[in-house]
Amino acid sequence: MGLNRSSLLKVLAWPIVGGLVLLATLPTAFADEEYDQDRAARWKQLQESLFPHRQVLDSGGIVSIDAPPRALDAALVPIELHISGSKPVKGVYLVIDDNPAPMAGHFVFGPKADPRELKLRVRVNAYTNIHAVVETQDGQLHAATKFVKAAGGCSAPAGSDDAAALADMGRMKLRLLGEFTADKPMQAQLMIRHPNFNGMQMNQITRFYTPPRFIRSIDATYDGAQVFHLDADISLSTDPVITFGFVPHAKGQMKVVAQDSSNAVFDHSFDVPGGTPGAAPAG
Amino acid sequence: MTIRLTLIAMAVGLVAVARAGHPAPEPPGFWTGPVNDPVPSTIKGGTVIHTRALAILIKDQNQPAVIVDVSNAPRRPENLPATSTWLPVPHHAIPGAIWIPGAGLGAPPPALDEYFRKRLAAATGNDLSRRVVLYCHERCWLSWNGAKRAIQYGYRNVYWFPDGIEGWRKARQPTAVIEPEATP
Repeated sequence: MGLNRSSLLKVLAWPIVGGLVLLATLPTAFADEEYDQDRAARWKQLQESLFPHRQVLDSGGIVSIDAPPRALDAALVPIELHISGSKPVKGVYLVIDDNPAPMAGHFVFGPKADPRELKLRVRVNAYTNIHAVVETQDGQLHAATKFVKAAGGCSAPAGSDDAAALADMGRMKLRLLGEFTADKPMQAQLMIRHPNFNGMQMNQITRFYTPPRFIRSIDATYDGAQVFHLDADISLSTDPVITFGFVPHAKGQMKVVAQDSSNAVFDHSFDVPGGTPGAAPAG
Repeated sequence: MTIRLTLIAMAVGLVAVARAGHPAPEPPGFWTGPVNDPVPSTIKGGTVIHTRALAILIKDQNQPAVIVDVSNAPRRPENLPATSTWLPVPHHAIPGAIWIPGAGLGAPPPALDEYFRKRLAAATGNDLSRRVVLYCHERCWLSWNGAKRAIQYGYRNVYWFPDGIEGWRKARQPTAVIEPEATP
């Protein structure tokens, strides 16, 4: 009706332009779709093998992950897990979907834990989804997802000197973050010297693969009561650093026991809050 | 005046290329630096091939190509606890490819070098004129090294496919899931 010729042309032209733009982006879109399908299939496979016969629900606001979208160093990808605390939790699983040993760690919280914030550093072998799966006290699983771009962390050398790394193995530090108040949650940062060789790193001088040797479990107890138990695997970074929360009822001792794949046991006790934070181990 | 402007334009262009860091110059020997780094656009003694041409090349029944994937493969630690889940992601490859992890290392252990030499000889039927295609991932030196090694072995028709499996899949070319060979 009121449509003149030029505006008619414009109306007709836009879908054509749109079509061309769409065509230009199609090959990439298809490829991305294919990778999305790969990732969905992978997560399905992992759910079936890691949590057989169980339903994994969405995060429901119970858990979230912070991680850099593009990691600077694939062998040291910082991961933060946030747990809302709206439901009591038993533990949390950290799954790095595309790593060959995808279960990077399983934390089980004890009565002295404040599970709301956990930080650790992991190796990532490919562009991958990372899942944090919280298990609530009532036995439900809730998962949060984060996509991380990093590649090659599994074969990246652990350090410049294998022998020095092994000699230093088992040294620990505990740094208290924040002020101590009885019965108030506080954060602590645990550092363990351990090369955490995963068996995929090649010694640059001997040109042989360094035999795997990695931390399998860490137990932290406060005055005899459990803070957390961690089952770890080859995905933890060299010199693991774990930041966790705990609730001290009074001044006391944090005892940390770590066991590695060669059955070496490292244990240290730290005074809380006595002494200088981060001081040399008392044990 | 025109010449001066042209020269300025060329200089600006050169600076831009240098800034972008692409492509890297060919190293005299094997590349021993970071594996995932910008790669050259050439390989002395061989041919650089891209997705479309490769898709045609490997269909050529008269001159069947030997395709070698030199991507790294995950190695299962022998002392991994029995309770651990070892579940590498399915490895997508160009159909027909053989997967020889480590063949593209800058300095492979001698036994691995020897394995690669013999494996190539077997796959080509001891024919140094057979087409050999080397690839791994995009922006990955392993395939460049692997191609260089094949050239050094004496193969005369070596193709290096720098687009890697990512470029191949982006072009919607078919893939097959394969397992790595048990290299020493």
